[in-house]
Parts: sequence; structure tokens; C-alpha cells
Amino acid sequence: MPPASQSESSARTAEPAAGRTPASATLVVGLGNPLRGDDGVGLKVAEGLRQAAAMLPDVEIAELSVGGLALMERLLGYERVIIIDAASTGAGQPGTIRISTLGDLGLKSTANLDSSHDATLLAAMGAARSLGVEVPSKILIVAVEVTPTDAFATGLTPAVAAAIPAAIAVVLELLAS
Amino acid sequence: MTRVTIDPVTRLEGHGKIEILLDEHGDVIHTYFQVPELRGFEQLCVGRPLEEMPTLTSRICGVCPEAHLMAAAKAVDAAYHVTPPRPAQLLRELLYSAFIFADHTTHFYVLSGPDFLVGPDAPKAERNILGVIHKIGAEIGLQVIQARKYGHEVIEMVGGRKVHPVSTVAGGMTKGITPEQRAVVAGIGQWMVDFAAGTLDLFAEQILGNPAYLDMIRGDIYSHRTYYMGLVDPDGRAAMLDGEVRVVAPDGARLGQFPPVAYTDWIAERVEPWTYLKFPYLRPVGWHGLVDGAESGVYCVGPLARLNVADAMKTPRAQAAYEQFFATLAPAENGVKQLVHQRMAMHWARLVELMAAAERVVELAADEEITSTQLRSVPTEAPTEGVGCVEAPRGTLYHHYWSDERGLVTRANLIVATTNNYAPIAMSVERAARSLIHAGKVDDGLLNRVEMAFRAYDPCFGCATHSLTGEMPLEVTIRDAAGESIGVLRQNC
Repeated sequence: MPPASQSESSARTAEPAAGRTPASATLVVGLGNPLRGDDGVGLKVAEGLRQAAAMLPDVEIAELSVGGLALMERLLGYERVIIIDAASTGAGQPGTIRISTLGDLGLKSTANLDSSHDATLLAAMGAARSLGVEVPSKILIVAVEVTPTDAFATGLTPAVAAAIPAAIAVVLELLAS
Repeated sequence: MTRVTIDPVTRLEGHGKIEILLDEHGDVIHTYFQVPELRGFEQLCVGRPLEEMPTLTSRICGVCPEAHLMAAAKAVDAAYHVTPPRPAQLLRELLYSAFIFADHTTHFYVLSGPDFLVGPDAPKAERNILGVIHKIGAEIGLQVIQARKYGHEVIEMVGGRKVHPVSTVAGGMTKGITPEQRAVVAGIGQWMVDFAAGTLDLFAEQILGNPAYLDMIRGDIYSHRTYYMGLVDPDGRAAMLDGEVRVVAPDGARLGQFPPVAYTDWIAERVEPWTYLKFPYLRPVGWHGLVDGAESGVYCVGPLARLNVADAMKTPRAQAAYEQFFATLAPAENGVKQLVHQRMAMHWARLVELMAAAERVVELAADEEITSTQLRSVPTEAPTEGVGCVEAPRGTLYHHYWSDERGLVTRANLIVATTNNYAPIAMSVERAARSLIHAGKVDDGLLNRVEMAFRAYDPCFGCATHSLTGEMPLEVTIRDAAGESIGVLRQNC
């Protein structure tokens, strides 16, 4: 039984939850928490991309600190999405950059695409699909390997900071292809 | 038995780490639940402008930034010795109600819902929002997304931005809403009330109407007779943003009620050598370990606690739901309110609050002063020290800042909801372990049952820690009487 009946009052007509027509075909999202040290590397890469990507047509850059459902909601309507985020897979030195699709991630998770109070991005995208909502046809993850920390800090560790130019180059290359 | 040293240095990042010790018969002696802590947060604040604390602390967590924002904003008001004018308070409550509505919706349908709507023994792959959609229908899924959308729309309208609002300042708000926006909010509010009503009906049908689930909610496995803490307004009704902190004993008697600024008189911290996180407990009662009962200073916060401490809800339909909640789970005895101690009932309590938040959106939109432009009491004195307390979705949240006369933070202290709940969570984990490990045999359902205990509290480990794929990352190590590890169960790590 559906939870809500349409009210007869001055309730506005429910706009479709999705179906936005964004100005650009491609969305680049830098993901991270700026207060958790290396966790914020995605934000820094996105920041660095802004100037370079300003010349590229049809590309929007966003810096976000959300996961799961909120992230999914933000991605709707774009054809192609590139997400830059910190990852702690243990397979590689901090600063290593890896590209994969969302599906490739499987059970491994990058630090930030998931939340204990939310759906995972994978589940959220799956939910969107099963609801008939149009999801981007291509979602790429550019993951920068970090060593996670409990501590609050505003800077990046040297190895991770040094990876920013390379990460920017990787994204620009993906955008050009 | 052999003395085992639990070394907190070997904790996992952002994970729950549990050590279960067995005796020579293979039964559980004790369970140690370790969590990481918010290290370095205070250092982050010191030297920064006090007025920056709301926007800074809203970045601690990507899920409940509004809670930290409001607690910090109230602490900043207190430090500057100002009270926002009523219209500003109305706007803040409007923002906050929309936030609670969206958050509780998400939690029920995405987190706790799967346990009930799909079933705790369903395959893992189905115990998530996808499973809920398959079971209940796509219509519900779309409405969940709509509910979130409406919640975020109101937050953006009042707060200036969707996820990290920017419109709170010392003494009030930087912007108000227009009559046109107010009309939009009124419509959204009505939709929210309908949605909350439908969700309560769904819960009654699918969960309370299912004997197995009702047993799970009523059962003793997750029941703990502890104290409870929550905010109440001057009339003793459940409050989320403004009020005093009330504490009640396991039998329902009131232990006390205090303004947030007095929290250190009431909350003390217990250091245990095997974990970084200290256990808050009630100072007047004292610490007697991780045990139930009126002699033990352990207390619980969150939706269940808030309903337990309150005499009533502020709004009519939420009040009706509150009455049904208690009538079902803990009928009054001789006219005296009895408390609900079963932790699984938190999921239902959350839905009572969902309705309360929705009704408040409607009420606030109808308040004449909601479009007023009297939005700020400008501070005139140098700041000193201030405490801000709100009810985050997960429980009572305290922000405490000390400032120098220039307005720069000299010291900060936060008690987040999960810290307040550390002792009860540890106790629920232990209860799950004891019920499922016998004679050295570990039941396959252990991880799931432990996870369910966690999920009821919706704990936030170190805020903004991640690393999940829909499940709590847990490492459970079981040790025999000699201290040797006889099994490690890992989930998602």
C-alpha cells in the first residue's frame, strides 16, 4: 500500500523526483570530507580542475561531501559522470590513482561513496533504475589511494597532495575521450 | 581463565571492533566493543572564529550536518549572550523539522526498513532499499525520493543551501522567507503529513501485523532497562531543537531536568582501558559497569529515549501515534506511564517523530511570524563560553565552545549522540553475543543479529567514517578461555 495519498489542499503537484535537464552532459564530482585529511583529496582535485575544465564544453564540476542517496540524486540527468574520491583498498601506495567503473567496485568501497546512515551509491543507483529513473549511462570512479585516519585534519599528506596534478590529468584525459 | 589484554591500538579504522571472550565451557564471559573516536577535532576548532563553528562543524558529517550546525549555532548564541528573535527561531525550527523529516524517512526505508519489510533472514543482497522496492513496490521508492526532495527543498529555502546551510548567524538568521515561499512550504508540509501517515500505516500493517516481527520488537533480546535522556519543551513535550534536558529512570520516574549549560553536572565520563572512547554516564547515579538497572548510570538517547522522557508530543497526530506506541508496548499501570525498553522499538519511535516533524512544518508555515524580517538580535558583548544542545536524529548532541574576547575559539567539546549511546550499544552487542554463542559454537546469525543491534541505534562511528557497502563493517574476534582466537568473523572489511 503506497504511503501517501494526494492531498486536496494547496499541495503543489509533485514534480518528478528526477528528470532534471542539466545544462551539461558531463558531471565531474570531487567527493570528500574537507575535515578528514586525505579523505578530502577528491575535493582538491575538483578544485584544481575548474580552471582547466572551463574551456571544455558541456562539463560541470561539483564538490560534494555526501554519499549514497544524496549523491545519486545529484547525478541524475547527466549522461556521463566522473567521481573523484579517496580510496583505502590497501592495494598500492598512497597517491596511487586507479580508474574503474561503479560496477567494478563490487564489494570494495571507496571512502565516501558509502555511509552507515544511507544507501551505498551502488544500491542507490540500483534503486533509481528500478524506479524507472534515468541514470547516467556511464559512471567512472577515479580513486586516489589514501591511508584513512580517524583524526580531524585540514591538509593532505605529502604523497596524496603530490598526486593531485596526476589526478587532474587523468580526469582531463577521460573528459577528452 | 587466562588474562587477555585488549589492545586498543590495534583497532580498525572507522569500524566496529568486537572482542568476545569465552570461558572454559565456551560461553560468553564478556564482550568488548571498541570504536574509534573524534580525534583532533578540538585542535581543528582552536584559534578559529567562534562564528565559524556552525559551518565548520556541519562538515563533520555528511548525513546530519544540520544537527551540528544548529547545536553550534545555539552554542554561539549562548557564548555571545543573545537570544534570536522569535521569527528566527521559527525559521530554524522549520529548517530542522524538514531535516528530521528527510533523515527519518531515509533511515526507515533505507536502513531499518529492510530488516523488517524484507526480513532479517532474507538474503543480504535483498536487505536494502532495492529489496524494499521489490517487496513493497516502486511507488514507495519514488515517494521516498520525493520526501527527501521536499525536505531538502525546505532546507535550501531557509538555509540557503541544500546540504550545508549557511544562513544561521550569532543571534539569528541572515535571511527569511517570502509569502510565496511560505505557501510552497505549506503545501510541502501537507504532503509530508500524508506521507508520514502512510508510513505509520505501513508499519502497522507490515510490521506490527506480522507476529514474527512483533515478537522481534517486543522480545527481550534487545531490551535494556536503562535511564533515558532527551529534550523537552516547557510543557514537557518532546522537543528536537529548544528546551531542557530531561532524564528519566528505568521505572519512568524523573531523575531530573536541566538546562543544557548544566550538562557537566549530569554527565560524567568513565575511562576503560580497552577502548579509546569514554563511556558517558549519569553523574548523580554513578558508574556500576555496563549493566541495566536503576543503580547503573548508563543512559540511552535517540528516538526511543525521546518518547520515553516526554509527557506528550507537540502535535496532534504524533500524539495519537505516541499513545498507540505506549499502549501497544508498555501500557500504563495504575495510570502511571511505563517506559518502552525494547531497543527494536526505536524504529517505530522514529516514525512517531516523522509525523511530529511533518506536522511542525505545517504549523510553522501557518505561523504569522514566519515571514517576518525581524531575524536577528545583534550581539553587543564580547563572547565568553556557550553550550548548544539539540536532538540529532540519533540522539542528544552537545556543542560547548570557549572563546577569547576577540571571538576566537580557545577550547571545544562535543558529545555526539553515538557517544551518549556508547554504553547501551555495547550492552546490546553483548546481549546478542550471549544469546548466540553457546558451548563454543558461533551461530551464523551472529553478525546479522549484532548488526541489527547496531542499526537500531543508528550509530555514527567517528562521524563521517565510511567504508560500508550497505552493511556495518564489523570485525568480531572470538577468544577461548586461553585467550586464543578461535574465530574471526569479518563483514565488509
